[in-house]
Amino acid sequence: MMQDAFFCTVGELAAMGRENIPPQFISGAHLIYSSPATLAFNSPGAEGFGVKRAGLAIPDSIMLIVAPGCCGRNTSLISSMREYDQRFFYLMMDETDIVTGRHLKKIPKAVKEICDSLEKKPSVVMICITCVDALLGTDMERVCRKAQEAAGLPVRPCYMYALTREGRKPPMVHVRQSLYSLLEPRKKKGNVVNLLGFFSPLVDDCELYDLLHQAGVKTIHEISACRDYEEYQTMSEANFNLVLHPEARFAAEDFHDRLKIPFIELTRLYQIDKIGSQYRAFGKVLGVTFDDQAAAESAQKAVDAFKAQYPETAFAVGECMNGDAFELSLALVRYGFKVPEIYGTITAENFIYIKQLAAISPETRVYSNMEPTMLYYDGGNSGVNMAIGKDAAYYHQNCPNVMWNQDRQPYGYAGVRRLFEALTEAENRWEEQP
Amino acid sequence: MKGLRKYLTPFAPDQSGAVSVLYELGGILVICDAGGCVGNVCGFDEPRWFSRKSAIFSAGLRDMDAILGRDDRLVAKLTSAVEKLDVSFAAIIGTPVPAVIGTDYKALGRMTEKKTGLPVLTIDTNGMDLYDKGQEKAWLALFKKFAVDEMPVEKGRVGIIGATPQDLSDLSAGDKLRQLFAADGKKAVCYGMGDGLDAVKQAASAEYNLVVSPSALETAKYLQKQFGTPYVVGYPLVRTMLPELDYTGKKVLIVHQQVLANALREELKMRGASEVKVCSWFDMKSELLEEGDVYLKEEDDFTELAADSKWDVIIADNCMTAMLPKFEGQFVWIRHFAVSGKLMQWKAGPAE
Repeated sequence: MMQDAFFCTVGELAAMGRENIPPQFISGAHLIYSSPATLAFNSPGAEGFGVKRAGLAIPDSIMLIVAPGCCGRNTSLISSMREYDQRFFYLMMDETDIVTGRHLKKIPKAVKEICDSLEKKPSVVMICITCVDALLGTDMERVCRKAQEAAGLPVRPCYMYALTREGRKPPMVHVRQSLYSLLEPRKKKGNVVNLLGFFSPLVDDCELYDLLHQAGVKTIHEISACRDYEEYQTMSEANFNLVLHPEARFAAEDFHDRLKIPFIELTRLYQIDKIGSQYRAFGKVLGVTFDDQAAAESAQKAVDAFKAQYPETAFAVGECMNGDAFELSLALVRYGFKVPEIYGTITAENFIYIKQLAAISPETRVYSNMEPTMLYYDGGNSGVNMAIGKDAAYYHQNCPNVMWNQDRQPYGYAGVRRLFEALTEAENRWEEQP
Repeated sequence: MKGLRKYLTPFAPDQSGAVSVLYELGGILVICDAGGCVGNVCGFDEPRWFSRKSAIFSAGLRDMDAILGRDDRLVAKLTSAVEKLDVSFAAIIGTPVPAVIGTDYKALGRMTEKKTGLPVLTIDTNGMDLYDKGQEKAWLALFKKFAVDEMPVEKGRVGIIGATPQDLSDLSAGDKLRQLFAADGKKAVCYGMGDGLDAVKQAASAEYNLVVSPSALETAKYLQKQFGTPYVVGYPLVRTMLPELDYTGKKVLIVHQQVLANALREELKMRGASEVKVCSWFDMKSELLEEGDVYLKEEDDFTELAADSKWDVIIADNCMTAMLPKFEGQFVWIRHFAVSGKLMQWKAGPAE
């Protein structure tokens, strides 16, 4: 009986090629192991932003979860956060509902009853439905229209269909589309830009804000920073959208089709030189030359400072963090550190980083958090002495770690600088431990 | 409105109950879902999950698996996993998706047993029933499958059935019960909380069984019928759960699982309470009911019952406090994990 966790080295993966990824790395090919390292995959709503929390990004909105009780169970974790107090409600389905579909008739009445019972009328009611309605083929758009008539305010669907998570339009893509679907066409303003992709703002000191201002942008909208529904509506005045997360691509296309707002996509990177190239390309599109030298230098300074203090750091890099595990690993190796282990899901997008990593760190081991043999993972002899990511921290509890999964989004040079500052702080804290 | 929840989040579902029973027994547990259910079960409903590894998996169902009913794929995935893992049995636990597509659990169990050569339990939970229903199914399936051999009765051996974190809200309840019986010269075996599959296989050797939650009552009856093992119902740890208050002449309303609530009632009466009513959000067994006990289904059932000004004390999970803003009596918090998802903070006490 094999009692070791399955892995491939980066060199092996690169040699096999994207077309021959071993089944152990394909989530649909095996049972999915459930450990604290896979919680973000198995239940995106349990931490960070899943459909439920994301669906409430519109200011003053509330959500009615129409589902079997089991689908709403962990919502109390979110409800206990002050900003979500009195924003989640439940209409629980039973077997008769499934057979007869009678729950759909109750929704308008339930929405009205909730709205009437609240001191302050919500701006929007999001109706969250789950796998059961996916299988029943429920026309939730129609039900929402009925509910809208009954309650006298906007009602929008929100699909938490775990069954479709590897399909063309997974739940987190759909919810982004849903969130912006309430925007009405408005007169465009040349100096307004929307940042799409995240459900909380970028870190305050992100240079992207300054760069956009350099390009003449006066107003930068992020849905999570909108104070009220009216401000949210001003997002349709934008001259263009900046897509910072690939899951917002569909929403951006929707903006383009419905509101005639074009979009540009940027990737979150941790390689300082690549961040610079991306900004240069972005500037070219806008017809400006960005001055990003100071921001780049401060990022490099943070990397150098950490390296001077902890040159022998060997990282375990996980996927439960704000970044791509393979790109971050590539950045770390290029900065001169070791990365003995990565826990990640291989995609078409990140295979390019695997190929580049293979050239400079072919022995780096890649594990899939979800593969059944991860039950036996033992990092004792891995050589890892620092972990990045919630999953990596779970596997390596005997060394310092940085979870790096905070709500405020690290991005660009500021992301790199903050990461290395956090790493330094974690190392210092660890050393000070008795 | 029926089914509408404005205050309380949904309670632990039946699939979480089934997992709670089987979690420590060394099997591979496969939740037949797309991922979200296993996340709820583990990330929220199984407090042992963060500190104690278990072979618990999601079937990783996708839309086409459900539409085409591809059970053979699940069997293949399970067989492949079993080849790599050291497990003593397999359990397939249902969720809303197989409930909607009408999965034939018996056939699935037979196919899996044949392929893997392992004993397989199938628990046809549906995510719509509550945890106690799932626990009841899991306890019965477990003992029917593994407690098959007649054995000589061991004097002083007590089998404790029904102990799960969902019901007792205390991860050390198994140890506390074992210690309590040990002090009396007896050997208590707490199935599923500290005592594993071998103990289940030796169930026939118990002198008697102690049922600590309603979900285990049917199993106790089965063991009585099968091996002649008598059973008693109760929860001896309630003595340490009640805060020191003057209950003399007080009218008390208790909301919890029926066995624990009944044990509290007994204790309160001994401490002088004049009237004690038990109510529960979960199944209430007719043989454990007293006149006037109430089954709660909707939030309004509880708020209307509690609105009666006669209650001096209400004993319930902390999360129900917000439902009674006008209650002027004494609120005593005793956690019920299946309700709030929170464990008992020792010591439970009066609300401040």
